[in-house]
Amino acid sequence: MLLPPKLQELVDDFASMTREEKLETLIAYAESFPSLPDWLKGERAKMEAVPECMTPVFLFGDKQPDGGVRFHFDIPPQSPTVRGLASILANGLNGCAPEEILTVPADFFLPMNLQEAVSQQRLHGFSGVLAHMKHEAIKLIDKK
Amino acid sequence: MSYVHPEYLVDTEWVAAHLNDASVRIIESDEDPLLYAIGHIPGAVQVDWFSTLQHPLRRDFLTREKFEEVNSNLGIANDATVVFYGDKSNWFACYALWLFQYYGHQNVKIMNGGRLKWEKENRPLVKEVAAYAKTTYSAKEADKSIRAFRDEVLEQSNAKKPLVDVRSPKEYSGELISMPNYPQEGATRGGHIPGAVSIPWAQAVNEADSTFKTPEELRALYEGKNVKADGEVIAYCRIGERSSLTWFVLKYLLGYPNVKNYDGSWTEWGNLVDAPIEK
Repeated sequence: MLLPPKLQELVDDFASMTREEKLETLIAYAESFPSLPDWLKGERAKMEAVPECMTPVFLFGDKQPDGGVRFHFDIPPQSPTVRGLASILANGLNGCAPEEILTVPADFFLPMNLQEAVSQQRLHGFSGVLAHMKHEAIKLIDKK
Repeated sequence: MSYVHPEYLVDTEWVAAHLNDASVRIIESDEDPLLYAIGHIPGAVQVDWFSTLQHPLRRDFLTREKFEEVNSNLGIANDATVVFYGDKSNWFACYALWLFQYYGHQNVKIMNGGRLKWEKENRPLVKEVAAYAKTTYSAKEADKSIRAFRDEVLEQSNAKKPLVDVRSPKEYSGELISMPNYPQEGATRGGHIPGAVSIPWAQAVNEADSTFKTPEELRALYEGKNVKADGEVIAYCRIGERSSLTWFVLKYLLGYPNVKNYDGSWTEWGNLVDAPIEK
């Protein structure tokens, strides 16, 4: 089964990259990590915590008028790898309907072959972030 | 009272003054492998605990030949002063230092406070990857006197000699198998090695700036749990990285002559058939 189109595109891109290109791309994603909007600053209690990550990670899904979800992340700058991975997920899934987000399998990233660039343990954080994005999506299904 | 071997520690000011010293090589070793690319101390090179220091197939470290090649490529000479620093209170800096000592590099130091202190002092960070002319590096035979393997850990436990479990209290009690907030994988059983005392690694560092605690504080911390200089001590954690910081503290800051790091740690012990476990 295919992933949501933008995420599928990202997975395919990574699959064709060398180890160095993967690292460079991950760095680029970490550096373009969007800052938290003002209305979510200091509001970690409102956000979904991701305890599977090696770093304090908080995320929030916001349903847009068109029904798509927009994700916001609060991740410290000292953790660029986690920022990079979260950025990939946000880029791949922002704008998708909650139902669409729920179809993404937990191991969607295996074809990206990221374990040659980052340690296996860290990839568990990847699945962790996705699982909690899904929690947010479930909460948003019936929300207008 | 001072540290027993203060020559193994330098401060950020010392590093700032030696950025252009050809006899000094600064190495960044982090938990997060992308931090170096985001910005590092000018002239520093990177060693990644995972992709650089591990054997590509087996659960072991890189071979002696590979270690020589890594050093040669990083422009490290046999007589270079190598200064390690990194994130997370120098966990992985200590891990890299321990491995450099394992293969016989003599002149090694930790930058006290690591990345956090350097950043807090607003010292420069650059993105430019440092490159140096290749050296001819020859490593020594692996020094097993600083690395413990499972059989001697069992002997140590049976002989009721000091074992230091540096994991979090919940990992020690067996409630968790990995650190709180980390993936709970890697071992099929929880608990600790019989006889091990719990002294979480982070108690050796000041949270505010990642520097090591004073000699008095450190002495009280370990001697208070009966981990003393006159015995053989083995430290362990989950994969041997947090315990390499404890190894550094005991070996160089407190000067214990006989300290080993058990890098197999809980991910080996908690999976080992027939190994005794205490909860």
